[in-house]
Amino acid sequence: MFDLTLIKADVLKLRRRHGMLALAFLVTAGAAVLIYTVTALQHGANPIKHGPAGGLKNYQNSIGFLTTMVLVVAALVGATAGAADIESGAFRDLAATGRSRVALFTSRLFGGWAVVFTVVAATATITAVAASILAGPLPVLGATAVLDGTVSLLLAGALGTAVAVGLAAVVGSRGPVIAVLLGFELAVLPILSALKALGSARQLIPTQALERIAGTAPSGGVHMALITAVLVVGAWVAAPFLAGAWRTRTQEI
Amino acid sequence: MVRGMTISSTNGQYSLAVHTQGLSKRFGSRAALQAIDLEVPRGTAFGFLGANGAGKTTLIRLLLGLAKPTSGSIRVLGRDVTENPAGALARVGAIIEEPRFHPHLTGRENLLVHAAARGREAQERIDGALERVGLAARGDDKVKTYSLGMRQRLGVARCLLPDPELLILDEPMNGLDPAGILEFRRLIRELVDEGRTVLLSSHLLDEVQKTCDVAAIVDQGQIVAQGRIDELLRGGARAIEISADRPLDAARLLAAVPGVTRTSDDQDVLRVTLSPETPVDREIVTELLRRLLDSGIAVDRVAPVTTSLEDRFLTMTTRLEDRL
Repeated sequence: MFDLTLIKADVLKLRRRHGMLALAFLVTAGAAVLIYTVTALQHGANPIKHGPAGGLKNYQNSIGFLTTMVLVVAALVGATAGAADIESGAFRDLAATGRSRVALFTSRLFGGWAVVFTVVAATATITAVAASILAGPLPVLGATAVLDGTVSLLLAGALGTAVAVGLAAVVGSRGPVIAVLLGFELAVLPILSALKALGSARQLIPTQALERIAGTAPSGGVHMALITAVLVVGAWVAAPFLAGAWRTRTQEI
Repeated sequence: MVRGMTISSTNGQYSLAVHTQGLSKRFGSRAALQAIDLEVPRGTAFGFLGANGAGKTTLIRLLLGLAKPTSGSIRVLGRDVTENPAGALARVGAIIEEPRFHPHLTGRENLLVHAAARGREAQERIDGALERVGLAARGDDKVKTYSLGMRQRLGVARCLLPDPELLILDEPMNGLDPAGILEFRRLIRELVDEGRTVLLSSHLLDEVQKTCDVAAIVDQGQIVAQGRIDELLRGGARAIEISADRPLDAARLLAAVPGVTRTSDDQDVLRVTLSPETPVDREIVTELLRRLLDSGIAVDRVAPVTTSLEDRFLTMTTRLEDRL
């Protein structure tokens, strides 16, 4: 099921989409550069009104925003990885090799992860370095804080990509999947997180579980055990993955 | 059954490249294929003929494991496709309808993506495959800049990556210009001469007649004839065309000759249709001419009517008007 050659092929398909990659880096690493540049300039212009750009608190705030941006990138890259073969029509020729369709599907997920994790690595590095250099008199970052922040971004990337790859394989088209996921991640999830009337059902919200695992304070005030959070994220990864694998294996093309 | 061909698995060599038995495929209540017994001998160019919607592409999808049969068995290169698709299809190259590629990748990168599903040896054949189809110079251009003919050639290059024993080409000449068709026909013959088997699905009857050694004709999901092209042609109605004076008198005279089933007059050319048992040979032609000359009817021209695959196809398959 894990075939490095197939994964490299899927990475190649994504790597050659220069516009998509540029957008992915722009909304994550580019956003991080922009955030720290603007706040550093503000601090330089008026140190009394604007505090230092870096430091622990600013780092955690920027990680919260960038986690959302990583989910956006994961939706974009994951949906493209999941639907590219089907949309181009090349999947029929790949399946006609007799190669396991589950292996073909799984390689899309690993290929998507490889690209998204590269974007995440660049974003996490820029954010940690900027927050450290620009900390000024504020409390500096510890290794634990950097690890928590990086894990948060990685988990968001892993989760978002898995959901997008699976859904795209089921739907067979990336456009609708990107639209639905962006709407879900940027509009529906924040609203659900804020609805206190939902009570403990909010533990099923993936972003809440991600925040719990990353050790940051849940934005919606939802408290859950770590094991619950891990199970919730696992279920959100597994359900679309299994649906996508099943669809890929059984569909007649 | 293809005459002269036997099925055996002695020495591990299956004499048939493709062998289906009782193969059926239903989509809901509609039967796309019904009890297909297909035998494609190794080392031949095999034509699979049928009108649009006859079931050609459905059969090819089943052969390639892209859809599951409702019933029946499929063996490709001696292996069961349903039970062992990887083994059965390891040495099979295919173009299914129009070859599709990732347009944002180059030709070479598209082959690399496909070769990744085939294995290391397939990757090593990429340069040779591009060279063979005449795309070596354009291999690093993006596929979205290719013409239809170039994409067809890239499709053939992709077929060659597994060093195929069997190539399955579904309507490969669609959209090609005359030069492209000639080039494609030559390529198919070269592949067969190398000992490979080519299964060519087409509705272009002339192409199959010119390219293939053996053919099967499919109509409404059933094989209505199968055999060598010359055998298929021999089974057709035979006729002789005669240009003569007084065609009406000539037609009446010739209709009475034993072995003649019908005479018709088309723009002063008589078409004399013979019964299946009557050979078009010296004897019958001499008899027809004697009758005419004895009655004082001058003859300008006598010519046997050559039966084409198209004639045979039309006599065997359901006409569109009959379906309505």
